[in-house]
Amino acid sequence: MIGSQANSAYTRLAESAATSIVPFRGSPKRVTICEPVRGWRDPVMERMKQLVQLERGWDGYRGAPVGFDIAHFALRMLDAACGVDAPTPQLVPGSDGDLQIEWHTERGDIELDVRAPNDVLAWRRTASTGPDGEEVALTNDFSLVASWIAELLEPSCATGTAAA
Amino acid sequence: MQALLNRPEHLPDFQSPPLNEVVLGVQFKPPQGYQQIMAGDVRSLYREDFPGVQELPPLLPAFETFGPAGVLSTQINFGFTSGATHDRFWFLSPNGAELIQFQQDRLLHNWRKIGDQTNEYPRFERMIERFEVELHRLEEYFASLSPQRLDVTQCEISYVNHILSRDPSATVRSGDWLRFLDFGNEDQPDDFSLSFRQTIRGADGKPRGRLICEAATALNQKNQRMIVLTLTARGAPYPPDIDGALGFLKMGRESIVRTFAIITTDSAHRDWGRVQ
Repeated sequence: MIGSQANSAYTRLAESAATSIVPFRGSPKRVTICEPVRGWRDPVMERMKQLVQLERGWDGYRGAPVGFDIAHFALRMLDAACGVDAPTPQLVPGSDGDLQIEWHTERGDIELDVRAPNDVLAWRRTASTGPDGEEVALTNDFSLVASWIAELLEPSCATGTAAA
Repeated sequence: MQALLNRPEHLPDFQSPPLNEVVLGVQFKPPQGYQQIMAGDVRSLYREDFPGVQELPPLLPAFETFGPAGVLSTQINFGFTSGATHDRFWFLSPNGAELIQFQQDRLLHNWRKIGDQTNEYPRFERMIERFEVELHRLEEYFASLSPQRLDVTQCEISYVNHILSRDPSATVRSGDWLRFLDFGNEDQPDDFSLSFRQTIRGADGKPRGRLICEAATALNQKNQRMIVLTLTARGAPYPPDIDGALGFLKMGRESIVRTFAIITTDSAHRDWGRVQ
């Protein structure tokens, strides 16, 4: 099935020794619902492409390029955590092939250390967390990170309070 | 038959389901010390039962991740590579009905209907027993290169169903087969292609993976119209090893079979000989 999520053995339709299937087309009338455009995605993809192709020893020592599996996992993580309005994060390679994803704003800082697929150390520091911040180990659910990013985007209430 | 005895009693069961293909698979961290030139060693692990070989482009890594509910996020092709790529190999059984797919971060086992489409589905219990042996064999080989375990990052199980119209020459009436796509007596759509996703949660309520259901109209090689109904369960195993992977695949299978019975109609169940 074309575009299917299943890793079917019938993907090579013309060459399959068994049943070949093709979608049949009828009326050209279609309703297409597109995903919202996420502004951060293109610059992140571009940067990720550079990081997986780093030369071994890129840091002057024995630094490895960012792992291909880590890069793909990190993109899926960002897709889950970042909405349309999320600011573009900075991507910093680690010497072990891991990846640090960071946001630094006036409202606070968030850092996600992607050590391996399903192994992420998330840290943030805001006015509410104190100077040491807070740290959480995450696997595949990034709802918490989404709420942290949303807090970074919230309009400051300090101004309103002062005006009152 | 031992395999049938082990089938969970609560699961719906059909005498002649429209099953055309079943895929069991795991994705793992690329093993240390392995290079593509060693693919022949991996082939030799399975050669006795799977003597045929074909080379294909690799599958890209796939992960299920979770965020706020209702955020639509599809698996997109990121379109970059890490430099040298590793091919995917098919190791085929003599009649082609079963195959192993291998690349440096994947192992999958497919069963499919072939030829006149009458070959019998070996049933999940037998397939997963064999897959367990194949996984351990691969883990032992990787451990011989460098001390390591198979570090499984995702598992997947897919059931591909080909639902043919009762009158193969007629337009397929989706409402006869799929509860969620009934157009009544109105004109039937010429074609459709749709999908939905559901979160699979563990006993602790945390998301473990997703069930992805895809339905689309298609033609088979005899030019017969049909609905291809594909159910895939994918997610992360806990613990991230072979036992965890097998546990996820069993849970995913139950999720698939239950969903299949829920979304298909009673009259379809009669056609397929529902016995449970």
